[in-house]
Amino acid sequence: MSARRWPFMTAALVAGVIALLAGAYFGLVDRQSNIVEMRGEDATAVFGITLPDTEGKDQALGQWKGKVVVVNFWATWCVPCRTEIPQFVIAQRDYGERGLQFVGIAIDEPRKVKDFEREVVLNYPSLIGGYGAIELSKTLGNRVGALPFTLIIDRAGRIAYTQLGPIKEARFESIVAQLL
Amino acid sequence: MIDSALRAFFAFLAGSMPMAAAAEPKLLEPDRAFAFSVQALDERTVEARYAIAPGYYLYREKFKFAIEPGALASAPTFPAGVIKNDEFFGKVETYRGRFAIRLSLEGVTPGKPVVVYAESQGCADAGVCYPPQSQKITLPLPQPGAQPGPAVAATPVKKSWFN
Repeated sequence: MSARRWPFMTAALVAGVIALLAGAYFGLVDRQSNIVEMRGEDATAVFGITLPDTEGKDQALGQWKGKVVVVNFWATWCVPCRTEIPQFVIAQRDYGERGLQFVGIAIDEPRKVKDFEREVVLNYPSLIGGYGAIELSKTLGNRVGALPFTLIIDRAGRIAYTQLGPIKEARFESIVAQLL
Repeated sequence: MIDSALRAFFAFLAGSMPMAAAAEPKLLEPDRAFAFSVQALDERTVEARYAIAPGYYLYREKFKFAIEPGALASAPTFPAGVIKNDEFFGKVETYRGRFAIRLSLEGVTPGKPVVVYAESQGCADAGVCYPPQSQKITLPLPQPGAQPGPAVAATPVKKSWFN
């Protein structure tokens, strides 16, 4: 190898190292917030869903079309889900009048969901999904079928954002601020 | 001099590579996160084995086992787990890594196959939980005094996370 090629090699290596470090850095940022995707697909399938609420009354998700709708798949047996819900209660209180609507879909029994509703003074509906709701969430981007899984639908009925794992408060606020 | 600088670069590259790879958030499918297999130790004892990927855990109180035909002769024998102080559920026992739960069977026929039904539920440290997983494995029971039966995995494992 000729001596003249060394500067090239070194430059390439430096570039490579920078790329790797950048990848590691952004990767870590992503890791902290778990899986994050900005999307844009149609949410017609979501608005076509009808599920019973905790009183057994059927609720069509389509009734909230036109609002910024946050659909949160959760369960009472899921600790990370329980942990983030009080934050949703605050957001519903603060942004509800501006057109933000949370809808919970619980992979759970109505009785347990009712108990939890009372415990956190839930101010938005939580529908009862059963295990079928896990399959539904998979079609919406929940790759491994785990909880919590949250999607945010804009006023135009497009899925703006999905996340598997808890949403960081700051990130949630910035997304909602853009959509409201 | 250039040589040693280059070597240092390569060492640095090699050092940063796993970090970049590990930074990619990859949640496993539940059957990979909580790999399940069974083996008949003798004609009326079956071991239910779990190989849990690093960063994942199962809850002891969520395990359920059943046998067909036949029944469990007694409550399954669990190894000691790790007590976790949960902010909502208080003290809960959890399992990580590799462990086995022993099942004593009754009403089964040596030399014949038996179906083991298992249900488990767990979470990942990354902040997600998986719904209860139901698995079913058919395995042969050995004759009395014979060697233990073969280990049978719940799903065809495409790639091992442990070897």
